[in-house]
Amino acid sequence: MALNLTRRKFLQTASLAAASAAMSGCFARQANASTPFVKKPFTAPGSFAGTKTAVGGVCEMCFWRCQLVGKVRDGKLVKLEGNPKSIDNGQSICARGNAGVKLLYDPDRLKFPMKNVGKRGAPEWKRISWTEALDECATKLKAVVDKHGPQGIAIFPHGSSAKYPMTFFENVVGTPNNSEASFFQCRGIRDTAYVATLGVAPGENVDMANAKAIFLLGGHFGENVHVSHLKRYLKGLENGAKLIVVDPRFSASVSKADIWVKIKPGTDTAFLLAIMNYLIKEGKYDKKYVAEHGKGFDEFSKGIAHATLKWAAKTCDVPEKQIKQVADMLAANAPNVSIHPGRHVSWHGNDFQRERALACLTGLLGAIGVKGGFVAGKGPKTGKAGWPKPMAEHAEKFALHKMAKVYKFSPPGTPTDLIRNAAVTGKPYAIKGFVAWGQNPIQTVPDQALTIKMLEQMDFVMVCDVMPTDITMYADILLPESSYLERYDHIQKGTQWNFADPHQQFISARMPLVSPTAADHERKESVWIMNELAKRMGYGEHIKVKSAEDMINTMLKDANLTIEQLVKEDGIHLQPGVDPYGKALDVEFHSAELAEAGYPAIPTYVPVPEPPKGFARLVYGRAPMHTFNRTQNNTWLHNEMPINPVWLNDECAKKMGLKDGDTIELVNQDGVKSRTSSVVKVTPGIRKDTVYTAHGYGTMNKAMTVGVGAGIDDQSLITKVAVDPETGAHGMRNNFVKFIKNGKVLSIPA
Amino acid sequence: MAEIYRFLAQSMRYPTSDWMQADYFSILDAFLAELGWDDEAQALRQSISDKTDWLEPIQVEHTRLFVNAIPKVVAPPYGSVYLSDDGMLYGPSAEKAKAFYREQGFELVGESDIPDHINFELEFLALLAEEGKTQEEELFLQKHFRPWFPSFRARVLAEVRHPYYRVLVNLIDFFIREEL
Ligand code: SF4
Repeated sequence: MALNLTRRKFLQTASLAAASAAMSGCFARQANASTPFVKKPFTAPGSFAGTKTAVGGVCEMCFWRCQLVGKVRDGKLVKLEGNPKSIDNGQSICARGNAGVKLLYDPDRLKFPMKNVGKRGAPEWKRISWTEALDECATKLKAVVDKHGPQGIAIFPHGSSAKYPMTFFENVVGTPNNSEASFFQCRGIRDTAYVATLGVAPGENVDMANAKAIFLLGGHFGENVHVSHLKRYLKGLENGAKLIVVDPRFSASVSKADIWVKIKPGTDTAFLLAIMNYLIKEGKYDKKYVAEHGKGFDEFSKGIAHATLKWAAKTCDVPEKQIKQVADMLAANAPNVSIHPGRHVSWHGNDFQRERALACLTGLLGAIGVKGGFVAGKGPKTGKAGWPKPMAEHAEKFALHKMAKVYKFSPPGTPTDLIRNAAVTGKPYAIKGFVAWGQNPIQTVPDQALTIKMLEQMDFVMVCDVMPTDITMYADILLPESSYLERYDHIQKGTQWNFADPHQQFISARMPLVSPTAADHERKESVWIMNELAKRMGYGEHIKVKSAEDMINTMLKDANLTIEQLVKEDGIHLQPGVDPYGKALDVEFHSAELAEAGYPAIPTYVPVPEPPKGFARLVYGRAPMHTFNRTQNNTWLHNEMPINPVWLNDECAKKMGLKDGDTIELVNQDGVKSRTSSVVKVTPGIRKDTVYTAHGYGTMNKAMTVGVGAGIDDQSLITKVAVDPETGAHGMRNNFVKFIKNGKVLSIPA
Repeated sequence: MAEIYRFLAQSMRYPTSDWMQADYFSILDAFLAELGWDDEAQALRQSISDKTDWLEPIQVEHTRLFVNAIPKVVAPPYGSVYLSDDGMLYGPSAEKAKAFYREQGFELVGESDIPDHINFELEFLALLAEEGKTQEEELFLQKHFRPWFPSFRARVLAEVRHPYYRVLVNLIDFFIREEL
């Protein structure tokens, strides 16, 4: 390199004229060579510096979907706030909601369609055009359909923008192999157990704000944050509700509890049965409600007669006195008690029974349709839009659980394991096309090695996401989606959060707070992407909506609304509501339907595997500033809680020679070691047979530059999966760990 | 100088066959010859004449360096990533660049374009040079471009696998470096 040549000298000596002419000639044929600037006379600052409020935001940092406004200055989103007109979250949003700004401007976000010219799992990306990406996806997916039938495609969706693609593959292409993590690794069990017992999916519909007692089984509100849900809970406590928390750990909710039941994990159903048996024996249940709405109550009471306080005390490792105390507290406050159905309930593989027991307890106390009880708000009606169902029957016929006659109470879709096993074995049919849309199955589904095996045998893998999560590493074609702050996609509706307030209903829709387009990326919204794919795959005739905006407008039509009107109304339409109280539900204490399907007809306790000697059970939960893996790369949230300390009982720690804050790793019963390390939190607030950590840490994808390798990925230690026999959902708390410090494995004394 | 800035901005765009052709490389080659960067010119020539598919490796490298990569995007081409504490886009430095554009009577076309993308900054320098605003050009370099470009360049040089981008960041560096 001629170091002595300066720019000035160069400019003087070079035959610049010739060079310039050549340069302009070279780029003239290129259309986008034009400048990204326009001339505009300078106006004094201030005239454009004003902050505008963009309305119509709906948060998606978690699934609760609080209503937002965006403070936008000069095209840049500077702050998110709760929409002051909201009767749900109101002006409040949580830490994650606030940090949405950081997602919007995260340099690691996906920007362009990508083709993997390397290998799955070790990708080399080449940016390609949308046309090329869509053509390739369509050709490859169609080839799978032609060769293996529609059932040869599996889709793993998550989030509101994935619903449109999911229903396309199910109803139009005709594959049953759709696995939503929200069902099979989370709440599906709850929904089908309540449907089998009370006839409705429960949501989180307990009127905690007006309850006299609140009963939480594993719920750790405060660490688990959903704004209007927390409002209800805190209002209830403020009004003097008694709080009973059943949890092996001193959680944030336990710290506010009147009774902490430090239960042995996995035995909750035994605990519930003993309470119900006691209430029945003592005549402390709602006889009138049970007589009017109970089905099979005699069989039920006979069937649980074995569940004495003494038996449960021994089984659950809690004092007999305390079980009685809990039962009496519930009876004393009935029917105004909130028996919380839970949300993430796929724990031990015996979870359907536990959820059934919770629903039965609710009925036994007559806590349905009354103040403080199990009551759903009566929300407004809006229309539907989406895909017709020409192939729904085909999908039904090839549903793996129906073919095998198992998991008869499966939530919608197909249990994950059945899909994965079919893909890996090729039986009963081949699954060769894979679509992940907003879901990261590497971290949501236990047994990562098997998931990777499934992906490796695919003919084609397509992934659509906002961030480069772990699953994106396995994509052949990777598509970038616009974020929830830049797109239309979802109608959020409901009622005021506190039923004691005047009854109101609201309708809002997710609208972009900032423009989705910019010169440095080509992100698209899911309806556009899916339609373009559908056309290319030959399903164009079934398209009913042109865009996400069109879809929202169609759905609003039934409520006599338009997007335009919603904007005029500051993003939220309010209308008078309806009193939600007074609706009773029948209670299937004994279920003929379950009996016929070959399952226990009354709630039954099924023991779960015990920790082997030297191990403790690994349980996990939420942290207030994270929605699991989804928020790991957010700098604000990361700084709040960069790693996930592992809770260990203080007496155990002492014997093991561990001190609070020591750096540790974990190893599970199958010899699987955590890839990364964390620190130990030494506390008397956890049972000796249990260790706990927050879920969602320790991502292995280095494209997540902030979150990568920070803390321990508990999912990687969940190698043993219990499958709930009724639903086929995954129980993920039957794994056991030891600690490792400085390379030395430390057993946990019982 | 305007042409040179524009040439550099164009060179940082995603490489596609509609502009990256023989005539482009002959200009680049001539450039390097004038500068006496013979080794660089040689390496570059080799990388494109050795293979029939010479374009894809440059595209893959562009993607890996600037767009999406495992283990991570090597060098996001935005000022704020280097200038703000949290490494996010659209930090205060980006807003200052936008304000500078405006003071000079220029506005970005897209309302949500991130102002301190390297291509915008180079295009803007071209506009200033075109209007003969030498002082402003120097001021922009000093206040907005030079504060982050060296960190960007260092990241590229540390990880680059294709001679094209090594040459390119060095070339940009040559033209924007402060002269004493
Ligand atoms: S609870 Fe927090 S993260 Fe969830 S929707 Fe509301 S503001 Fe967003």
